[in-house]
Amino acid sequence: MGMTLGSHLTPLARSHIEHADVIFAALSDGVVEMWLRRLHPDVRSLQPYYAEGKSRMKTYRQWVDLMITEVRAGKRVCAVFYGHPGIFAWSPHKVIEVARAEGFEAHMEPGISAEDCLYADLGIDPGRFGCQHFEASQLLLYERRIDSTGYLVLWQVGIVGDRSLARLHTGPEYRQVLVDVLSRDYSLDHEVIIYRGVTLPIDKPRVRRVALRDLPGTEVTTQETVVLPPAMPLKPNLIVRERLDELDKASVA
Amino acid sequence: MSDTIELLEAIGKDAKLRRASAEELADTLEQAEASDALKAAVVAADSALLAAEFGHQPMRVDQHSNTPGHEEEDPDHDDDQDHPSQPDQGKPSHGQ
Repeated sequence: MGMTLGSHLTPLARSHIEHADVIFAALSDGVVEMWLRRLHPDVRSLQPYYAEGKSRMKTYRQWVDLMITEVRAGKRVCAVFYGHPGIFAWSPHKVIEVARAEGFEAHMEPGISAEDCLYADLGIDPGRFGCQHFEASQLLLYERRIDSTGYLVLWQVGIVGDRSLARLHTGPEYRQVLVDVLSRDYSLDHEVIIYRGVTLPIDKPRVRRVALRDLPGTEVTTQETVVLPPAMPLKPNLIVRERLDELDKASVA
Repeated sequence: MSDTIELLEAIGKDAKLRRASAEELADTLEQAEASDALKAAVVAADSALLAAEFGHQPMRVDQHSNTPGHEEEDPDHDDDQDHPSQPDQGKPSHGQ
């Protein structure tokens, strides 16, 4: 579906929607869902399967079951997800895997993602210094190596540290754990950007900038993404440069 | 009164309207006989004011997790509380 109503739906994605027998929808805004219902008479929202206190993983598996049941019934099924259906979304990949394993034809169409909007709205080129992306909880639960000479983008900070997968959000004390982990690689004075892209075309991107030390006391919703700009200059790799110099000399000779 | 969803789609796909100032957009919406909720949302730069027309529709956006310990959760063995009370069959889901 892309991120913004009216702006991002590709002609091909629209065609898939119009030619499907049934549509499943996991969108980020109720008005966008209403818009989708204008495009097809049988749109089934996946939102009601969420519930506070219920593991999101159960919800995602239910979504796969709902979709594959219609596929098995011989229906042409189109699942519409906000942004890009394959980025930070478990069930689209899974249902395609299951459908193909059962001999059905299934594929994914790319969409304009929150990440794409982030680059445009914040003026970031991930190719300039490099860019790492992590689900915020993964940084806490696993030993990951952060390269602070590039951008660091953290997703789902609003529920960072929730191991139950059943909460709607986590509090300042959980963001403090994240800050403590990040403080190994960043100064507490380092700027943190809290970003939310545009869902409805009458909105503007929401961009807030705070010091890393203030992140715990700053409310972060699940719709927002946290970006840490580079903290260190790129360090030249002198050994490899010397090796390349030798190759260049040899190729000239 | 113009249809709000159609107006939003029109704004979303029009380069001039999509980047128009709130004042310019408000003028356009006035001429188009937009709903009061849409005009108020544009003037206040707050789409949440559309709730006056469509109701409050909270939407969850998390669709992914790398958290270990949930790999074997099986919806076939869930109790009834894990299912929506009113499975959606094409009707709008105004809130949960």
